[in-house]
Amino acid sequence: MIGPSPGGSLPRDRAGSAVVRLEKVHKRFGDLHVLRGIDLEVVAGETVVIIGASGSGKSTLLRCINYLEVPDAGRVFLDGRPVATRDGGVPSERELSHLRRHVGMVFQQFNLFPHMTAVQNVMEGPRSVLRMAQEEARELALRQLEKVGLLDKADQYPSRLSGGQQQRVAIARALAMEPLVMLFDEATSALDPELVGEVLLVMRDLSQAGMTMVVVTHEMGFASAAADRVVFIHEGQIHEQGTPDEVLRDPRQERTRAFLRGLEHI
Amino acid sequence: MYEFDFAPLVRYWQPLMRGLGVTFQLAGICLAAGLTLGLAVGLMRYSRRRPLQWPAAAFIELFRNAPVLVQLVWFYYAFPILIGTTMSAFTAAVLALSLNTAAFSAELFRGGIQSISKGQWEAGRALGMTEATVMRRIVLPQAVKRMIPPLTNRAIELTKMTALASTIAVPELLYQGRAINAVTFRPIETYTVVALIYLVLLWAGTLVVDFLERRLREADA
Repeated sequence: MIGPSPGGSLPRDRAGSAVVRLEKVHKRFGDLHVLRGIDLEVVAGETVVIIGASGSGKSTLLRCINYLEVPDAGRVFLDGRPVATRDGGVPSERELSHLRRHVGMVFQQFNLFPHMTAVQNVMEGPRSVLRMAQEEARELALRQLEKVGLLDKADQYPSRLSGGQQQRVAIARALAMEPLVMLFDEATSALDPELVGEVLLVMRDLSQAGMTMVVVTHEMGFASAAADRVVFIHEGQIHEQGTPDEVLRDPRQERTRAFLRGLEHI
Repeated sequence: MYEFDFAPLVRYWQPLMRGLGVTFQLAGICLAAGLTLGLAVGLMRYSRRRPLQWPAAAFIELFRNAPVLVQLVWFYYAFPILIGTTMSAFTAAVLALSLNTAAFSAELFRGGIQSISKGQWEAGRALGMTEATVMRRIVLPQAVKRMIPPLTNRAIELTKMTALASTIAVPELLYQGRAINAVTFRPIETYTVVALIYLVLLWAGTLVVDFLERRLREADA
């Protein structure tokens, strides 16, 4: 159960239980049937990397987990508890807030708040969602910035930071909520090539520290090094999944092979 | 050659300053009331709920599409009869100018809010913020900053519009000028001085806001 504890920490004894579970999730955008019955379970401490061609539905899948997209059918469970929906499958605002404070998200475009310094960005969630006291939130935020190696940039505005630094602040911002699971939506796709490494390094550290993660990415190096499981999405369905070795080195499905071959040519 | 004589004006500097005081008062009250109401109407207009959208849209169109002078006269002569009461000229002027400012600034607020990217909303929501919190903490602060230039223009327009209140005998700067002219017969001196006071006042206002804007821009540049 998700208790009322601020942010909810990650108890060790949770290892092996499902933090996120999707059951027959469907999503349509008009005539476009983007997700066609997704079943996915992510257990505590696991890093799941989702790969697939653009338009395959992998970002939509990720966004259904924290209801930035509302599934048309199917159910989403967080920590064993189903997300309560009303008419049309839309949860109440209270329910949404409750769900999202336990699910951290990192966006392709960072989406830092430009009118706040780095540390203010990280404090914002604990302050305005968890109602944490100013001093406590600042200490927490500084710890998170330290984790991503940006303690010295705490008082800088985002516009003074490189893309890689901005994305690391965004990771710290999500971590400050002490989420049960972190979602990464192509977190390095908007970065200049020389800045990708520093962000991936932070992500790998997180993964090794036992954070539960669902990562949509085109970085196959990250997938093979950090993923416990790789999921290949094709036309809105899970086409193949397994360990990085199984899926990336020796895929069973022709579609997966074709996708991976395509990447090599880039 | 016309001989300028500012001496009579100097004699009447006190009523002139009183008039300036009333101008300040009128502009200040109408700006505060107009922007507050404008924000509320702008949020209603932006809302996805139809029952909020429509009255806001009607209000905006009503006050944008009639001359301010007509609104002023209407509020002074017609409105009190409608609601069966009397109303001072100052109150009527406050009503007319505030509502007019509200209508224009509502559109500014809506535009400013719409100019903030979808990603900012999503980042706020993803942290667990309610829509109202995202609006208050993330979107509005950024929107208002972008709106400082158009809001300044609004404030300057409003200050100019207060001169219209002289037509319903609100004793503001222009009204006092006319009164002084009536006893001194010195229109050139009187109205030149009145015009210069407006000019200095508004120009100083523009400088202050330019300064503020630069400060704000430096803060996150």
